[in-house]
Amino acid sequence: MKHLGVEPAHAGAGAMVRLFHVSKSYLAGSWALRDVSLELGKGEFVFLTGPSGAGKTTLMRMIFADERPSEGQIIVLGRNVSRLSPSAVPALRRRIGVVFQDFKLLPRRTVEENVGLALDVVGTPPRERRARVFAMLKRVGLQHRRYHHPLSLSGGEQQRLAIARALVNDPEVLLADEPTGNLDPDLTLEIMDLIADAAARGTAVFVATHDHGLIERYGRRVVRLEAGELAEDTPIRRPML
Amino acid sequence: MNQRWFARLRYFLRTAWSGLRESPVTGSVSVLTIALCLLLVGSFALLVANMERILDRFGEEFRVSAYLEDDLAEADLAMLRERVAAAPGVDRVDLVTKEAALERFRASHIGRAALLEGLEENPLPASLELVLAPEHRNAAALERLVGAVGGLPGIAEFGYGADWVSGYHGAVTLVRGVAMVIGAVLVLATLLIVTNTIRLAVYARRDEVSILRLVGGSRTFIAIPYLLEGAVQGLLGGLLGLALLVTLFHLALPVFSGSLELLLGYVSPSFLELRACAGLVSVGAGLGVLGSAAALGQGRLGG
Repeated sequence: MKHLGVEPAHAGAGAMVRLFHVSKSYLAGSWALRDVSLELGKGEFVFLTGPSGAGKTTLMRMIFADERPSEGQIIVLGRNVSRLSPSAVPALRRRIGVVFQDFKLLPRRTVEENVGLALDVVGTPPRERRARVFAMLKRVGLQHRRYHHPLSLSGGEQQRLAIARALVNDPEVLLADEPTGNLDPDLTLEIMDLIADAAARGTAVFVATHDHGLIERYGRRVVRLEAGELAEDTPIRRPML
Repeated sequence: MNQRWFARLRYFLRTAWSGLRESPVTGSVSVLTIALCLLLVGSFALLVANMERILDRFGEEFRVSAYLEDDLAEADLAMLRERVAAAPGVDRVDLVTKEAALERFRASHIGRAALLEGLEENPLPASLELVLAPEHRNAAALERLVGAVGGLPGIAEFGYGADWVSGYHGAVTLVRGVAMVIGAVLVLATLLIVTNTIRLAVYARRDEVSILRLVGGSRTFIAIPYLLEGAVQGLLGGLLGLALLVTLFHLALPVFSGSLELLLGYVSPSFLELRACAGLVSVGAGLGVLGSAAALGQGRLGG
């Protein structure tokens, strides 16, 4: 077990994500993840870092049940992902917000429709949907672009749109793969504040990033992967700025 | 809870409408395919319905004539009439006297009076005309009736078109069977074409399907807009097919009216009943939904 003996910041507040000796192999003898164990508590904010190919994306995909572990158990929001039936996967995903590295936006839908998708899936009434989408777009500074299509937005705007879609449903777990990769420094801080705000409201947050400046600036718990193994799990160093 | 269902319904309708607008080519191909299939199926249905109508009309007018011997006494005739009326399947018995038979002959052969010239006496026999109950207007029932009353004293012979009735009944059964087989083949072929057409539409939107899965869309949630699209396309195809059938029927009727009159006599061809028209359009909608379901089943929607 590669847990380095660091207690999560919100230990005791109820683990939202638990990994027990999780390994993932796509080819015999080659491990994308190997024997990783860790916990993520309610409202906890964790930076997931490591070089490309270290297993960050694989780990995130297993948490939102897009992949199953080859070995070990993953408990997300009380559900064992390793044993989850295909019909139970959508219900779990509705409680998880995901910001994908390639955004995964619908090019033929407007900005408003893209954000509203997460609310459509849970059947949010139209008036509430409109209000929540508008409020979310305002928070990411895209309210004036709500009738545009994603392809007419800049890279940074698309990234903010992806974050808006992930957060609009107040998810219990947020997984963000390089959420600030295309943003300028000012916008990066605004977006990170949004994510930190979600954590403060109880969302368990995993942010995968290569940005050491960001990690230093925020001083949160850091989980570092190397060649699929847990190389470091350092605790929170100082409160969020 | 109701609000959530209403919201979902709204989403399904909005998404289906977007899908129809975004794929006009594949949508039009599906609509046209279904329309052409239903035009062919409808044409066969029209043919069979008219053939059955002719048979029904023929049955209504159908009489069996029991020709009487010339020297039959009044009392024997009355007794014979009673016994014939009691036979199975006989609804009514009318007496046609020799004079009445001659009058009928004259009325139906106007301008051919020469045929009767030179005859010293009326050669036509008197007869009993048997009107049959509707359920007995078929070849088998006719055979049974003749068997029951054929040997009665006073009856010289029977006159009815048993062979014609039997042949026509067989022809209708054959046409109906052929129409059903051809219809089934057409419906299956259309289903395959529509399935593949809709599969192209699903493939073109595979990214969307994948993203819907990632944000927690269930298989049903993802499938319903596609099924609605299929239903709308099928409905439009059905209506278009019906409109084409009506148009062709009215265009073809004057062209072939002469030949049809010769063939069918007083029975004028008529269009399908409202219920059959509704059935044809429903088959179109069903084809669209089944095509969508098959296309989605072949694709991977995940859980």
